[in-house]
Amino acid sequence: MAIVIRRLEERDAVESFDCGDESLNRYLKRHAWVNQAKSSIGVTYVAIDESAPGSVIGYFTLAMASVPRDSFPRKAVRGLPPYDLPLVLLARLAVDHRFARRGLGHALISEVFRISLRSAAEIGSRFIVTDACRDRIGWYARYGFEPIEGSAEGATTRMFLDIRTIRAAVEAGKGGS
Amino acid sequence: MALKHRTKPSGAPVRRLRKTKFQADLAPADDRLVRALKEELQLSSNSDFLSDALTLFHWAVSERKLGHRIISENPRGDRMVLFFPRLERVAPDLSLPRVEIQWTERELESLAELASRPNANPPTEVLVRAMRD
Repeated sequence: MAIVIRRLEERDAVESFDCGDESLNRYLKRHAWVNQAKSSIGVTYVAIDESAPGSVIGYFTLAMASVPRDSFPRKAVRGLPPYDLPLVLLARLAVDHRFARRGLGHALISEVFRISLRSAAEIGSRFIVTDACRDRIGWYARYGFEPIEGSAEGATTRMFLDIRTIRAAVEAGKGGS
Repeated sequence: MALKHRTKPSGAPVRRLRKTKFQADLAPADDRLVRALKEELQLSSNSDFLSDALTLFHWAVSERKLGHRIISENPRGDRMVLFFPRLERVAPDLSLPRVEIQWTERELESLAELASRPNANPPTEVLVRAMRD
């Protein structure tokens, strides 16, 4: 299966997308394009199966955010740079259940890391943050995401991955280790 | 290449397209590079050189504008991605919109702890594989 990952386009066929989570399905079908093209709230990247061009079989949505320095508790700011902390928000990531367990999630998150590295190099960001569904925490942890403690009780846990860790992964990959 | 001339109906005013002169001061090293490239590519004039360079640059800009990466691949399949800072300015993947996130106080404490580590965690094997794939 040859997969292409690129930005969502208006003509992409999203109606048959089904990842098993209605809110993630609805986001792609109803909001992703408008949020990207009109509202500038998030950019959605889609995985397309080249044998069925235009059909979306997975997606993720990214945005930039920052944490104002003065929002940190005073006792916690030691060791932080004296500026707001820029970050990449991985807002959503989903795979159509008909294509699950074929490495598509891995391909999507690899692209998230590459985009995050480029963003860090060009406009600056310190880390990636995502709100992981409870049953996906283990999956994100395999890539080095760590839970951020204190998430409000709910269906998701906020997780953190340092951009420096991704850079180190690139270097380690070059060394063939 | 055959050039076709379209003749205007008689009486219609003839408009000539003006060519623009392009002059550049080159450092000696750049001048040597231009001469070497012209020789390699068998280009006889600076105009032809500029025209070809422009075509290539225009293609690269339009590819990055679409979010495509420009990759060179050697016969063994090793790939290198072109990273050219000026091209990155037009890449849509960097124009990520900015949003606000709500944090609890405990989350901010925990985040500060994670973000202020002098050394980041070493990458996991799965992450290394993700960056190599």
